[in-house]
Amino acid sequence: MKKSHLFYLTIIFIYLYVPIAVLGINAFNLNRYGLRWDGFTFKWFVAMVENPGLMEAARNSFIVAISSASLATILGALGAIGIYLYRFKGRFILRGSLLTMMMIPDIIFAIALLVLFLICGISLGFWSLLLAHTTFCLPFTVVTVLARLHGFDPYLLDAAKDLGASESQVLRRIIIPLLLPALIASWLLCFTLSLDDVIVSSFVTGPSFDVLPLKIFSMVKVGVKPEVNALATIMVLISIVLVVISQYLIKERKQ
Amino acid sequence: MRSKTRNAIITLISLWVIVFGGVPLLLLLITSFLKQHPDDFLSLSFSLKSYYQLVDPVYGEVMFRSVRQAGLTTLLCLIVGYPFAWITCRLQSRYRLAVLILMMIPFLTNSLIRTYAVRILLGTNGLINRSLLFLGLVDTPIKIMYTDLAVTLGLVYLMLPFMVLPLYANLEKFDYRLVEVSRDLGAGPIYTFRTVVWPLTLPGIIAGCIMVFVPTMGLFYVATLLGGARDLLVGNLIHQQFLISRNWPQGSALSVVLILMMILMLGFYGLVLLRLTKRREVV
Amino acid sequence: MITKFIAWALPAIIMLLPVSISAAEKVYVYNWTEYIPEAVLQQFTKETKIKVIYTTYDSNETMYAKLKLVRGEGYDVVFPSTYFVNKMSREGMLQPLDHSLIPNIGELDSAVLDKEFDPGNVYSVPYMWGSTGIAVNTDIIDAALVTSWRDLWSSEYKGQLLLQDDMREVFHMALKINGHSSNTRDPKEIEAAYNLLKELMPNVLLFNSDSPRLPYLAGEVNVGMIWNGEAWMAQQENKAITYVYPSEGANFWIDSFVVPKGANNVENAHKFIAFMLRPDIAKMCVEENGFATPVTTALPLIDEDVRRSRTIFPSAEIISRGEFQTDVGEALVIYQKYWEKLRSGQ
Repeated sequence: MKKSHLFYLTIIFIYLYVPIAVLGINAFNLNRYGLRWDGFTFKWFVAMVENPGLMEAARNSFIVAISSASLATILGALGAIGIYLYRFKGRFILRGSLLTMMMIPDIIFAIALLVLFLICGISLGFWSLLLAHTTFCLPFTVVTVLARLHGFDPYLLDAAKDLGASESQVLRRIIIPLLLPALIASWLLCFTLSLDDVIVSSFVTGPSFDVLPLKIFSMVKVGVKPEVNALATIMVLISIVLVVISQYLIKERKQ
Repeated sequence: MRSKTRNAIITLISLWVIVFGGVPLLLLLITSFLKQHPDDFLSLSFSLKSYYQLVDPVYGEVMFRSVRQAGLTTLLCLIVGYPFAWITCRLQSRYRLAVLILMMIPFLTNSLIRTYAVRILLGTNGLINRSLLFLGLVDTPIKIMYTDLAVTLGLVYLMLPFMVLPLYANLEKFDYRLVEVSRDLGAGPIYTFRTVVWPLTLPGIIAGCIMVFVPTMGLFYVATLLGGARDLLVGNLIHQQFLISRNWPQGSALSVVLILMMILMLGFYGLVLLRLTKRREVV
Repeated sequence: MITKFIAWALPAIIMLLPVSISAAEKVYVYNWTEYIPEAVLQQFTKETKIKVIYTTYDSNETMYAKLKLVRGEGYDVVFPSTYFVNKMSREGMLQPLDHSLIPNIGELDSAVLDKEFDPGNVYSVPYMWGSTGIAVNTDIIDAALVTSWRDLWSSEYKGQLLLQDDMREVFHMALKINGHSSNTRDPKEIEAAYNLLKELMPNVLLFNSDSPRLPYLAGEVNVGMIWNGEAWMAQQENKAITYVYPSEGANFWIDSFVVPKGANNVENAHKFIAFMLRPDIAKMCVEENGFATPVTTALPLIDEDVRRSRTIFPSAEIISRGEFQTDVGEALVIYQKYWEKLRSGQ
């Protein structure tokens, strides 16, 4: 590898990781503002766990993230399969709509859904948030699964049909197992998008259902909060774990 | 092949897209033509007032500022991200995986957290200023926090993975032998880049640009956290009108204009793509 | 297919169960950021076993819009400022308070009771009152140079000011400089204020109402607007940060407890209010937040230096120079129009 290449990569990675590293270090720093190192401590982690509002918001966020990721992956996979396999009227319109949905900035989606919820009288809380997150994750799932489907051998399916398999059997036994890497990737993507979402959440969630991004947002709006440093460190660790797990699962499948 | 499964699948997905995708957008369009209600949210009377008010140069300024900010961010991401993706593709495959994973980790970390991390660095007493002072490069701390520079730095920091990943997906398929052939035929590196690399990687570039530009237009919280909520961007304005001033028709009208702008831009990119593929067929 | 769906949905359902099963007593409090010490909330839960679900807002407008959006349901106690109590009660968003459940009303300072924004205190009970004035970091800027709102307009402070993200408070400055009432409904006076404020914009570095003291403490800002309580809190960490009552008159306000019409836990809401008005609790709030409490029986309990602080308890003369915020009725729309123009333009 050329020296200049290595240099460039290193610089970029420094740029990407220094802020996170500083955060991680300060999570253990006794000094509140991270202006100098005062000593090693776990007390911010303790403060974080003891903050009931923060923990509740975290729990809510995880519930929504898991639910919407699962729902979006299922719907998206089905949709992608439908678009790929079947020729039906409006196929291109459906595909086009999904791609368009991906192109619209989150905020517009958020307010459009808000108008819908207001007019239908759906109260804002867990369900409105779930619907919203599933909807904006959906196009990503479809695109991911479709990309994988395009690498398929169509004769595989014909062969199965010739051997007498029914529609749903073809689905269950052949397609879905082969799609597993794409399904995992989609689920992870949706999970991250949901957990990360500030914009949509600030519009469509209600008082009974506070979520983590909003909680963090109100905490950091002006300054440094050591409990947030602790939380941030944990979230980075979670990301690392997720990436490693997903890579492991995908590798497994390849074998 | 008309089976129950097939019908169920198609109906399910179509229904979802229509109900939660199409209908809300339609409602948004309708809302933009209504009047603001002093006490509630909407009053069901037709009015072009919201569009009329958009003519005010103030809104033009907000739009311009937002496009400029998003455009700058996209450009910077491209300049930084393209070489990165290129270098990664040229690596041996075991290093490649490591690099990709290292790129993915910040991508999967909560963007709010990352913005907050950037903020710590940029403060008057933050790491950057203190390093500069320590190294004697400046006498007094430079003011980065709450300026446009801070917002741009933060946005590039957040959006870089969004540029790199599509670029990488495209560059991975690039056949490096084409470059070698071009060199063998005597072409210089710049010429090679212009005629061989650039056209073939353009789809990836465009995909990356879209993936950065579109979300950046709506990312109001970065401007609030790093820019001090001083100059409103489109996202902030829409947020304000919906959740604070309760001028839903105005907010909707602004959103409709934003969508139209997006469609125009994407249409333009689509045309460029079309012309490229035609040219490739000839080649 | 079905099995797959269940396999993925089941974990989600299992996690949802605790949400519905935990039917512990709750009270949903929607408040300004950093307005109630954490210790107070914990003590409330310890004594009454009622869990406090605490969410925050940074402006009356945000609070109002949110309440409208959820049709007043879901929040049990909210803290609007004076003129919003007017507005919300007029629009039927609040429910009358049951005074029998709030015994310590009698201990409240009569000067802040029975005001024109809520005669007889039917809908509200005061929580804390305070003022908005100027903050100066005397290490960097000479305090003698900044004694009036007008001083903020000086070109010396280009790109250096912090302003509250609050429409009425920002307009208060300009109206007072022009010699008008801060509660004017006259469109011409409001427009004049807007024009004056336009000249101030180049001096503004940021707008914030969440924890305005933090930029001062971090050294990002050395002069600007601030609430007296935030200035007090800043002083505890950095003695150089001073609170100045501007010569044209500071902006005075009262934040009150109200119970929205659709509240689900009305009884718990009243218990919370009664708890907060206890002298020992009020003392904790004053000492931590730096705002003045209406609870007269709390005053003797408060630390000597806190009680003497002019930042928290201004003299009668200062109060009379300033002006209390009240309702401006329909004119609010005019303010909003100019505020939006102010914030959008460059």
